Amino acid sequence: MKNLKRSLIFMSVLALAATMPACSSKNSESSSGSSSASENNSQSSKAQADGPLTPYSDEITITLGRQTVQNPKIPDGDTYENNAYTRWLKKVLNINIKDEFEASGDDYSTQVSLALSSGEMPDMMKVSSKDDLRELYENDMIADLTDAYNTYASDYIKQIYDSYDGRALGDVTFDGKIMAIPATNVDTVGEVWIRSDWAQKLGMKIDEDKNGCITISELEGIAKEFMQKNPGNAQNVVGMAFAPWLTADEPDGTYSINTIAYALGAFPKTWINENGKVIYGSTTQETKTALKQIASWFKSGLVDQQLGTRTWDDITALLVNGQTGVTFGCWHIPDWLLNNVRSMDSKATFESYAIEDANGKVNCKHNNATAGYFVVNKKYAHPEAAIKIVNLFYDEMANSKTLKQDYPEVAKYQEDGVDGSTRPFNIEINKSTSLLDDYSDIEKGVKGEISPDQARTIESRTVIQNVKNYLANPDGCEVVDWSKYHSRMKGIELIQNLTENNKLNWVTPIFPTTTQTMKTNWANLRTMEEETFIKIATGAEDADTAFDQFVKDWNSMGGEQIISEIEEQLK
Amino acid sequence: MLKTKKDLTRYSQISYHLMMLPGMFFLILFSYVPMVGIIMAFQDFVPSKGLWGSNFVGLKHFIYMVQLPDIVKVIRNTLIISIGKILLGTFMAIAFSILLNEIRLKFFKKTVQTIVYLPHFLSWVVLAAVVMNMFNLDGPINQFIASIGIPKINFLGNNKTFQPLLISTDVWKEFGYNSIVYLAAITTIDPGLHEAAAIDGASWWKRVWHVTLPGMLPIITLMAAMSLTGILSAGFDQVYNLYSPIVYETGDTLDTYVYRIGLVGRQYSFGSAVGLCRSLVGTILLLTSNWLAKELTDRKIF
Amino acid sequence: MVENKSVKSKIRVAVIYLIVLLLGLSCFLPLWNVVAISFSKSAAVSANRVNFWPVDFTLAAYKKILDDAQFWRSFVISVIRVVIALALNLILVVPMAYPLTKNSKEFKGRNIYMNLLIFAMLFSGGMIPSYILVKNLGLINSIWALILPGALPIFDVILLMNFFLGNPKSLEEAAIIDGAGPFQILLKILVPCSKSCLATISLFSIVGSWNDFYSGLIYIQKPVNYPIMTYIQSLSVDIQEMLRSGQTSQSLANITELSNRNLNAAKIVVAVIPLLMIYPFLQKYLVTGIVVGSVKE
Repeated sequence: MKNLKRSLIFMSVLALAATMPACSSKNSESSSGSSSASENNSQSSKAQADGPLTPYSDEITITLGRQTVQNPKIPDGDTYENNAYTRWLKKVLNINIKDEFEASGDDYSTQVSLALSSGEMPDMMKVSSKDDLRELYENDMIADLTDAYNTYASDYIKQIYDSYDGRALGDVTFDGKIMAIPATNVDTVGEVWIRSDWAQKLGMKIDEDKNGCITISELEGIAKEFMQKNPGNAQNVVGMAFAPWLTADEPDGTYSINTIAYALGAFPKTWINENGKVIYGSTTQETKTALKQIASWFKSGLVDQQLGTRTWDDITALLVNGQTGVTFGCWHIPDWLLNNVRSMDSKATFESYAIEDANGKVNCKHNNATAGYFVVNKKYAHPEAAIKIVNLFYDEMANSKTLKQDYPEVAKYQEDGVDGSTRPFNIEINKSTSLLDDYSDIEKGVKGEISPDQARTIESRTVIQNVKNYLANPDGCEVVDWSKYHSRMKGIELIQNLTENNKLNWVTPIFPTTTQTMKTNWANLRTMEEETFIKIATGAEDADTAFDQFVKDWNSMGGEQIISEIEEQLK
Repeated sequence: MLKTKKDLTRYSQISYHLMMLPGMFFLILFSYVPMVGIIMAFQDFVPSKGLWGSNFVGLKHFIYMVQLPDIVKVIRNTLIISIGKILLGTFMAIAFSILLNEIRLKFFKKTVQTIVYLPHFLSWVVLAAVVMNMFNLDGPINQFIASIGIPKINFLGNNKTFQPLLISTDVWKEFGYNSIVYLAAITTIDPGLHEAAAIDGASWWKRVWHVTLPGMLPIITLMAAMSLTGILSAGFDQVYNLYSPIVYETGDTLDTYVYRIGLVGRQYSFGSAVGLCRSLVGTILLLTSNWLAKELTDRKIF
Repeated sequence: MVENKSVKSKIRVAVIYLIVLLLGLSCFLPLWNVVAISFSKSAAVSANRVNFWPVDFTLAAYKKILDDAQFWRSFVISVIRVVIALALNLILVVPMAYPLTKNSKEFKGRNIYMNLLIFAMLFSGGMIPSYILVKNLGLINSIWALILPGALPIFDVILLMNFFLGNPKSLEEAAIIDGAGPFQILLKILVPCSKSCLATISLFSIVGSWNDFYSGLIYIQKPVNYPIMTYIQSLSVDIQEMLRSGQTSQSLANITELSNRNLNAAKIVVAVIPLLMIYPFLQKYLVTGIVVGSVKE
């Protein structure tokens, strides 16, 4: 069979070689040639490389698995392989980038699997899930980066990772070894966004004590008022609309009921460790209470009667058409969702609030500290190059005061908002406090306490100007000015105020890797959960009996087993 | 140059094999060589271990599949939806090709024919939005229903209406494209047969029934048998873009169910096992219909 | 009696026209909706306000496409692919269909070939081994990776075989008596008699290669070399997924600005146009058949 296969391949190559223009076999040959060449002189260059940004004396080439984004904003003529960032990398560190494969979203994960199955892993690549990372570690495919990190990571990079109290690096540490560069993920707080122009028009008083929080009954009152008075003069008015899946894994969960659930002490789709005892948030009595709340609103007509079939795009349409004036999402939704509302209605403004619980606290949960990982092929001769790239793009680029003079091309990329995914590593590495740090820059810049050039990031400098534009002419400014004003001066400001006034009650969930029973039973448990929840919310099933039955089934159909497996993981 | 009969036969035999050769080369190379991948269904395939390094687990994935708690419900839904699509879809495509063939205004005929195959080119991602707008509570269909005094129906969120909705929208999307092959079949029918029937005084219906349809029968049998091989796929893209947890009860199919299972830790082996079962069922159905065709019409499909 | 009959047939014709017209309309409106969206401003589109007429008419989406070098590169790749794939499909399918019309006595080995074809149509090794094969052949990232794995459409072989079988045996027998060999019979008799089926197969081939985005996702690793449908597919944004993977608000804003629904609608419209243009050429082989009602009553 093997012989047959080989001869067939040989035959077809003969048959096709004549007709094929430059096919990729030539490319792969040349790339393997160059990597073996770099192996030869690895000894010499290793000796010379002794600082975070010391260039390689002999040029080295890194083949990459690149996760791109859809519709990236890139100047004409530049590509993922050849752009200001890669040219900068070549100039400063003498490193060449060659993309083994490029793909976006899920297709990227497919390419990773295909590369691994065919036994060819690029020198460095991003993997999206902890499961993938574990698989690579267990099969001895990736390099131990511990020494490289300790020796080469700049102080600032170390500060960044340390700001997560070990949650970020801990996530990539296996048997005491750092096996990947983790992308960081900053915490956010879920917010309720309310049409403030409508509230004003109707003479409503919201949040009279100005602490940025409203209660659930206040939320109900606002939605009711909007529904009855219909300030948007729309047809088919809806009080509140939610996405079909109701609850979301991520804390901010746009269009989900997360914010309401958290205020009732429920943390759906969250694993919580209570003194070694693992609890799945969706099965708690608090979650039942939250669902009952939605169900009672659905019954009274306050919640969208098409709950369950109203899609994401349709909910956006409700907002844009002025059919609803209450929605849920984190600080940045004005940048990419609510901006559509403003485009249609130049008078539209929003105010954001948090929902407080019975004790006047705002419950919120930490995000997973990591979001994706960069790994280095075990066979690659220069694992430390990965750390150097991180130093360059997440320290030097962020902190250099002379970037504009030294590398105008790179500075221009940032000013023009060229897609960040064009950097060699398409990941974010930020301090856990970066959101509020940036906000404080923007606030000071708007007040004139600092000049825009003193702001730490180029993005903040642009935002300061946007906010000033908005304040100068709230009704006539560009949509982007309106968006930046709302996301920063409403969205992040709320988080800032809540933090300052000590209103936030942080819950730290655990993020287990996929266990054996999860692999076989999780899809089913998740299906059962979503089906039950939507049936309860829409009144198709009685909340008490259906929920209790769900918890019983959930435990017996693998949930209990999964919990004990996770508890085992924690030991 | 006189050839004996034997020479002639040998010459024909060699010619026939020569005609098969180029196609068989591609068939072996691109269909049979990759079939080693079927072993994945009997492994716990891990990409970084590769096809030869992954552990063999025997029938584990097949046993797991049979034991899935919702498997009966899911297969029932799949069968109802796909059989509905095959029956109604075949009927519509045949009926449309016969009706279109009656149109004598050339311009009208060509325009309509071009238009009906348009929906085939739109993906379900695009069409789902159109279907949802048509059928939601505020949409035109419900406005019409309300105007004649019937209470509104949430078609997409109702377990009674969801399957008919899936079937009818799919038939609507594909009948034009599927009718092409039937139109081609009609062109091969001998016009003399129609004339003879007309002279005998046969009505239009009778001629359709006794001349057109029998003339199309081999192609109809072929197409029906072929669509039976896909009986365990009810159209992933369509269901995925239209369903929601409310209608899991009637809308969850083998494709969507396997997809959601695969989301947890990308289970290639499980997907491979399901695919293998699907192929087996398809093979059995195709062989049965070939045998049935032979028994009933005295002509095999292949 | 005669009058009665012609009134009846007039009603019948009218009803047929009406049904065909309604079916045609129902198929036309969704695409028209896509066209209307492509000419509308994005805010109106996101408000679901566009039905069958553009709201806030704009050519912005089409301007953007005209400037989009990648769109046109992918377009050209797809055109080349369609042409080569069509030629290759026909070259492989037509000769195979003829010997298979013989029974196993006339053509020894016929059933083995047939079973091999049927088996390959039903079973597949899946994505991963196909990828490894294409990679070992050195075809990754080349247009041949899109063409060669699908060079033999098995269903078309069986379809054409059935059409060949529909031809009267007498034609073939007469040719044999005249001394024609299998190749002459195929080219001079069967092919000219099966134009409608060949047109159908060609259409399947063209539409299939043009619409196929999946092989592009697997075998093409640089978006620069994507065929058109893979390119269009890669534009659809899964916001959920983006939020989960921790995108910055900056890139989210960029993406929603660029990938709004009207731009995608315009791309769909432009991508469908070539197929619409090709159809009339093949159509004349599909509609020349006899009309049941045309025979004098």
